[in-house]
Amino acid sequence: MGRFLLYRLLRTIPATWAIVSFVFLLSRALPTNDLLGQALSDDSVGNRGLTAAEREAALLRIQERLGLTGPVFYFSCTHSTTGAVWQWHGSDNQYHKWLKKAVKGDLGQSYRSGQPVTAVLGEALRFTLPLTTSAALLATVLSVVLALWLVCGGPAFLLSMLYAIDALPLFVVALGLLLLLANPDILPLFPAYGMGQQTADNAPWHVQISTYLYYSTLPLASLVLVKLPSLVVQLYDALRHELGANYATTARAKGLSAYQVATRHALRNALLPVIALLTDLLPALVAGAVVVEVIFALPGMGRLMAEAAATHDFPVLVGGVLLMAIMRLIGLVVADTLYFLTDPRIRLQA
Amino acid sequence: MRRLLWGLWLYTFLGLLSACNPQSSTSDAVRVRWVRDPESLNPLTIPNDIANQAVGLLYQNLLTVDNQKQEYVPWLAEKLPMVQHQDSLTLLTYRLRSAATWDNGQPIVAQDVAFTLKVMNSPGLPNEEARARFSFIQDVRLDSTDARQFTLVCQGRAPEYAYVSGEYPILPEYALDPQRQLRTIPLAALTQPTPVSLSKYPVLAAFVQRYNAANLDKSPMNLPGSGPYQLTAWRNGQALTFRRKTNWWADRLPVQQPQLLARPKQIDFQIIPDNATALLALRRGDIDIYPMVPANEFNRLRKSESGRQALRFYTADSYEMVLAGFNSSRVPLDDRLTRQALSYLFNIPALIKATQNGMAYPSVGLINPQEKAVYNDSLPLLTYAPQQAEVLLRQAGWARQSTGNWTRRLAGGQTQALELSITYRAGDAAFETIALQLRNAAARLGIPIQLRPTESTLLLGKLRAGNFDIYLRTLSGNPFAYDFSPLLHSASTGISNFTRFGTPTSDRLIKAIVREEDLGRKAQLLRKFQVILRTESPLVVLFFYRYRLVANRRLTNLRVSGLRPGYEVMAIEPLPEG
Repeated sequence: MGRFLLYRLLRTIPATWAIVSFVFLLSRALPTNDLLGQALSDDSVGNRGLTAAEREAALLRIQERLGLTGPVFYFSCTHSTTGAVWQWHGSDNQYHKWLKKAVKGDLGQSYRSGQPVTAVLGEALRFTLPLTTSAALLATVLSVVLALWLVCGGPAFLLSMLYAIDALPLFVVALGLLLLLANPDILPLFPAYGMGQQTADNAPWHVQISTYLYYSTLPLASLVLVKLPSLVVQLYDALRHELGANYATTARAKGLSAYQVATRHALRNALLPVIALLTDLLPALVAGAVVVEVIFALPGMGRLMAEAAATHDFPVLVGGVLLMAIMRLIGLVVADTLYFLTDPRIRLQA
Repeated sequence: MRRLLWGLWLYTFLGLLSACNPQSSTSDAVRVRWVRDPESLNPLTIPNDIANQAVGLLYQNLLTVDNQKQEYVPWLAEKLPMVQHQDSLTLLTYRLRSAATWDNGQPIVAQDVAFTLKVMNSPGLPNEEARARFSFIQDVRLDSTDARQFTLVCQGRAPEYAYVSGEYPILPEYALDPQRQLRTIPLAALTQPTPVSLSKYPVLAAFVQRYNAANLDKSPMNLPGSGPYQLTAWRNGQALTFRRKTNWWADRLPVQQPQLLARPKQIDFQIIPDNATALLALRRGDIDIYPMVPANEFNRLRKSESGRQALRFYTADSYEMVLAGFNSSRVPLDDRLTRQALSYLFNIPALIKATQNGMAYPSVGLINPQEKAVYNDSLPLLTYAPQQAEVLLRQAGWARQSTGNWTRRLAGGQTQALELSITYRAGDAAFETIALQLRNAAARLGIPIQLRPTESTLLLGKLRAGNFDIYLRTLSGNPFAYDFSPLLHSASTGISNFTRFGTPTSDRLIKAIVREEDLGRKAQLLRKFQVILRTESPLVVLFFYRYRLVANRRLTNLRVSGLRPGYEVMAIEPLPEG
């Protein structure tokens, strides 16, 4: 078991390195003109314009300060009239310097805020992880409960409702909840945005917890609602299939109730196809949910990554991709492990 | 199972329990919606409009803009600078206000201005933009008899130096250089074009290290400015709270001046990226001011009974415009008749209605119609006239084929077809509507136009490289300066003159406008420039935005204007509740 896990984990390292290196090199290949920012942007008319030389000098200074000068990789290829010319740059290149720092845990600084990338990601994760983790847990538990209820004779309209919700995109669900349950014209039960930290600062712990729950209800409900249908439907189908098997019929013949057969015998087998779905939730835990974070004004990972991409804040973007790649690959390892634990036949093949 | 259900009930109960406690708000606080985080409050970088507004609460420039009179007024300076010319130099003499002090009670003196300029030009600091923008300030001469008086030595001559020279936050020397070590380095040594090495100035190297360690991007409180507010809380991506200083220097002035008002005791900026959420927050009373409201929401709210009872609605004619530019270096748009013809295909009144719900206004060119002294009202506004466009196309040598398309014969005997593309920032609904309107109008005339929505960085690259036919973009102007050389001078082609337009006459006129100091003659030149712009049609100004702002009824004196951010948060007076 230990060797199996170690082997699988070691296999993820080159994949993570390849993904992040690709994103890093891609980001450095893009133009850096937008680093000049608003003061030197071309969006205003009437003010004194800069000469080409002044603009170039300013851009060069910014590039020097941010470490964007010099060759990007160990080698480069330039095309001239005589054909392609390959050039070796040695270790004095941007990628080598970035990698050397990255293995020590230094992912550089955000172009926008000047803050260390690890701190920026950490702060966003502080918001995202509690929200997405509770959403994933709640969706998982609810999916098992609802699937069991459905196979034990629960109302059929529940399935239709789940299919209807599944057809709705996340922004419709989130906006719908917001306009329904935070609207002064309908039901102003919940707050419209934020996490209420302003009101909960310096408050006793139970007030802080209740404020957090109060403020996170709508974002959490949106996330759970969109994840639930696929999980329930998958599990319900798997359970129905298992309950039709001979061992389930035997269990029923022994006098067990439908609920007992489902929970004691069929559920473990029915979980197999759902494992992949559940482990798929892992990268989403750190990736955040950009739609929910924008609608409810939460400063999580989704919004951070979307803004970093829109403003070309590449250090933050590369850091985020690294984190998500690691989580994705860990998700695969966890899926393998769960299969390994759930089904002995897979153990033999591993 | 039962436990789980109990857990769920408990969760809901706790949530509803908290629902009974509405969001607390102090009545002396003004709560404003911001669409994004300011990212950095470093006074050297100021990366966006929002950061600019926040920095204006913490620090003060020498001069500021009175948004009601739309003119520069002294802020830290006692009055506007005295201008003298000496050969190719402009000398601007300022005097700082006698009452102006830092938070520790020390007077704000000319040495602080010299310190600020050195910081703006020091290597190793994030000051590239400030350095480039104020590169015309070469040196500072301090007055030996008056510690508050100084003269800025500026390279070249331009009327705008008189106010641009006072547009940067003045920083306290005592906070970052208590030993006054930077005084040993002359400013002229730092402003020279050749790069300065930090190893040559160990004192400077130590200072740079201190400045960067202060983390002013997120902790501006490490460098207390002379502004009336201090940052008391910054929740990244959520909110910023500014609290008014109890001992601000301007409180001691005998006569209150509008630019030195700071009425709200607390200002909370709430960051709400989504418009629907922000609107809901406004209606719930979670925020007091919602600037730049989308046109349709503004109208809907204004018509609703509940909206009218709780809120006030403001509009202001802005200097921000939407324009279409033609690539004048590229066939088939390299002749002015074709460009003129295409200008007649924009249905500007319909576009104003469709994209801004009527809350925008047309102009004959780049000058705002509000600037009556310089606006050329003899020129007619552009109308939607496909027949006129057809006539102009024929004059330009185009002939309509039996297929309906237009072609013309080139000098070499080849045939050229009139087929175009329109490039604009992807995801902008207004640009999308404008592009579709133009495509439909052109299609009816037999001119195929392809829509090319493009990501903003790629778009900038395409515009710089001249890889487009027609572009759409937003530009912001102002009522103070009329330097069109970045936009339309041939020397700016490939940098910021995306239309690649420029004739010897227009280039000379643009330079003459910049140099001219007499207002009457400047107005004449500007009127002439608008005529040339209409005749040559390198670009078409479609409309100027009308800013829209909604505020809670308990707030008065917002000093709403067409200059960003569109209101003056420091002048707002919250009325007592009840």
